[in-house]
Amino acid sequence: MLYPIVFIALVASPLALIARLPARSLIAWGLAFIPLTLFGLTLTQAGPVLAGEQVVEEISWVPALGLNLTFTLDGLSLLFALIITGIGTLIVGYAGHYLGADSGLGRFLAYLMLFMGAMLGVVLAGNVLTMFVFWELTSVTSYLLIGYKHDYPDARRGALHSLLVTGGGGLALLVGLLLLGQMVGSYEFRDILAAGDQLRAHSLYPAAVILILLGCFTKSAQIPFHFWLPGAMQAPTPASAFLHSATMVKAGVYLMARLSPALGGTALWDVTLAVVGGATMTFAAIVAMRQFDLKAMLAYTTISMLGALTMQIGLGGKYGAEGVATNILAHALYKSALFMLAGVIDHECGTRDLRRLGGLRRYMPQTMVITALALLSFGGIPIMFGFVAKELMLEAALETDLGATLSILAVAAIAVTAIAYLITGWRLFSNTFLGQRSTAAMQQHVDDPTPGMLIGPGVPAILSLFIPLVLLAPVSTLIAAASAAIYGKPLEVKLALWHGVNPALLVSLSAIVIGVAMFRFAEQLANMRGWPIWLRGDMIFDRLIERTLTGATALTRTLQEGRLRRYILITALTMLIFVGVPFISFGLGAIRFDLDPQLQFYEILAAALIPIGVIATIKARTRLGAIIAVGVVGAMVALLFVLFSAPDLALTQLLIEVLSTVFLLLVFSVLPVRFESFSSAWVRQRDAIVAIAMGILMGGLVLATATNDSFAPLAPFFLENSLDKGKGANVVNVILVDFRGFDTLGEITVLFIALLGIYGLLRLRQGKDDVTPERVPTTATEPLSEPVNTQR
Amino acid sequence: MIILLAIAIGSLFGGATYLILRRSVVKLILGLIMLSHGVNLLIFTMGDGVRRGGPPLVDASGQPPAGSADPLVQALILTAIVISFGFTAFVLALAYRSNQAAGSDDLDDLSTTDRL
Repeated sequence: MLYPIVFIALVASPLALIARLPARSLIAWGLAFIPLTLFGLTLTQAGPVLAGEQVVEEISWVPALGLNLTFTLDGLSLLFALIITGIGTLIVGYAGHYLGADSGLGRFLAYLMLFMGAMLGVVLAGNVLTMFVFWELTSVTSYLLIGYKHDYPDARRGALHSLLVTGGGGLALLVGLLLLGQMVGSYEFRDILAAGDQLRAHSLYPAAVILILLGCFTKSAQIPFHFWLPGAMQAPTPASAFLHSATMVKAGVYLMARLSPALGGTALWDVTLAVVGGATMTFAAIVAMRQFDLKAMLAYTTISMLGALTMQIGLGGKYGAEGVATNILAHALYKSALFMLAGVIDHECGTRDLRRLGGLRRYMPQTMVITALALLSFGGIPIMFGFVAKELMLEAALETDLGATLSILAVAAIAVTAIAYLITGWRLFSNTFLGQRSTAAMQQHVDDPTPGMLIGPGVPAILSLFIPLVLLAPVSTLIAAASAAIYGKPLEVKLALWHGVNPALLVSLSAIVIGVAMFRFAEQLANMRGWPIWLRGDMIFDRLIERTLTGATALTRTLQEGRLRRYILITALTMLIFVGVPFISFGLGAIRFDLDPQLQFYEILAAALIPIGVIATIKARTRLGAIIAVGVVGAMVALLFVLFSAPDLALTQLLIEVLSTVFLLLVFSVLPVRFESFSSAWVRQRDAIVAIAMGILMGGLVLATATNDSFAPLAPFFLENSLDKGKGANVVNVILVDFRGFDTLGEITVLFIALLGIYGLLRLRQGKDDVTPERVPTTATEPLSEPVNTQR
Repeated sequence: MIILLAIAIGSLFGGATYLILRRSVVKLILGLIMLSHGVNLLIFTMGDGVRRGGPPLVDASGQPPAGSADPLVQALILTAIVISFGFTAFVLALAYRSNQAAGSDDLDDLSTTDRL
């Protein structure tokens, strides 16, 4: 029953297009039954998983590549699948209200369903290659979602950034996963997870880890790749709520958590994750505190929480695993609620700017209560689920095996982050609901939205309170199963609100006290000049793209500037370097000089006339002279064929030579009379040097290869089988018409095409007006030696 | 004798390169003709040795004479000669036509369409 869960979402996505019709909010809630069904289907599979087993389904897809469509459900997958489908249900219903006035809703929901299917594929895949396919599909579908409002340049920019960053990371990830598969000899997650010791001892382990982490860090917006996530806020709010609370960005975290039993336990993995995650967490929390846009604020807190999850995977241990699982759930609940609430406020007030909001408590009391609940969980205030999660994070930092320094740093980072979260939450709440309504926003009529729109944020916000109070036992079972998958061994987990007085509680409480005490300075902090705003990754990235494009254009302009001789020069120089240098280093020794005793004087004469004819052609002062000199060269080539046992070639060559000469005379007689040099002396000398080098290289190559007998010749086969199989005594002819008959067919085709071309050139355009040549000032380095002479 | 062929091939390639690098269409065509001679001779040396007096003809019993030359390279060159002739003829027609249209045999006058 696992692959239907993935495929129903993918296959049903076009169904969402009916939401183009009016009564959109109603249709959207109807469509919400699709993810709800998937949620139910997932729950039916939960029984054995919670008991500590795995559900595995396998379809052979491309057996030769080890590409199986394996789907596995374990605790971690279950947790993610429930979050994706559960929040997905609420988001689809909510989107119907949020985009109710937009006829593109159908398209939007279709993308959303596709994305949901891809995301389910990522978390349920039991094979790394299957997972990678779905992973890339999430990148593509999130591009469509972020760029949904494609009329806006910012939306396109945000979508492009997210696609380039996550897609680029995806390439690194693919190589990393292939390395992993090579080391283990299987692409199944269960084999990889079982081969942990073998992997860690392998020489390719560091390379694989770095590549996989590149993929995960880009996807999960870790420093320095974090900048795409705020840009992705251009997506319509329902998409942001889905992508950034529960799904897309957590894919990287999911993969790190999934692989940590196999790859973790080394300094490379643990310390990298702890340090990068911790830095991302603290940095983004401080930036979030200073934002004025509701969604930007939430975006940075999301980056911060992704950092926190990464850090906990690195910190490891029992509490690390529990902390990751619990924080994933807690964050998904409160953050999806907050995003949807930001959408509600934006929808009602027409702005998300904290400076233009305020005093909404009288107009939107229900919204205020739900926001308060979600913010309390976000701030980690006791009795909320966020508090339980934060305690575990602190425990993970206190109990880590990575040494005292990292432990203290992690605790300090968590404390700073917790304070920043409180201030962020306070600013969000007080600037929106408290105080006076801003005069600028007074024109609009503002009140609570329809109840349907509040279901979306309401359910997760209330769950944030209910889980610790009522549902702690069943959720503990789920978290236990999930953290066992992260830890690699079964775990006993009992989530609790009260652990007694311990260091974690003390840190947490003091952070709350400091945070609350700083509320009155919140706005000063936000308006303070300077720090962390300067780190504008998106600007740097834009410039990087721009530079790449101008660089590519400049390179093309240099290499392909439209003149044949420049192309030839570059080709010749490239060949001189890439063939000449290896030839001088390795090939020169292979040349053997043994003078042939049978050498005849007429052979020498024929061969010597070729260079003489070549020089004569180049030096010829008249066109006729050049044609005669080329004719001599051709005749001498034919003579060489006669002398060296190739009568057929000699015959053909002579015949063709006569024809060519006639054609040359015909055509050259109508071309301008001039036959002098266009180029300056300097250019001629340069070209002569290149040409001589080319000649020496080719001559040397002939000497080196012709005296080499490392390959068995093919000739005996043709000589022996000619009469027997080809029924002919002239072996060359038999080869042409029999053994390699298709070559001859190709040759005839080429001749025919040339004929058609010649016919077209000479006949078809005759009588029509000729194109007048466009005289563009030439940028050539050599000036024209004389005005162009026109005969017509 | 391979040294003779090496010198011939080297001079053909060198001369062809020089002529193709010129701005005149006429010289370009002469260079192309020379290049095809060079390539044909190059293929000629790539077979089972270059020999005297042994054309690849078998007798009535199907036995090749002793010291027979490599027939395969000869077949390949035969194809190449004919194709290069077709190509030369096409380029000549092109030169004739472009001279009619542009009134010049300077390649620099013909390059405007694909300048970036």
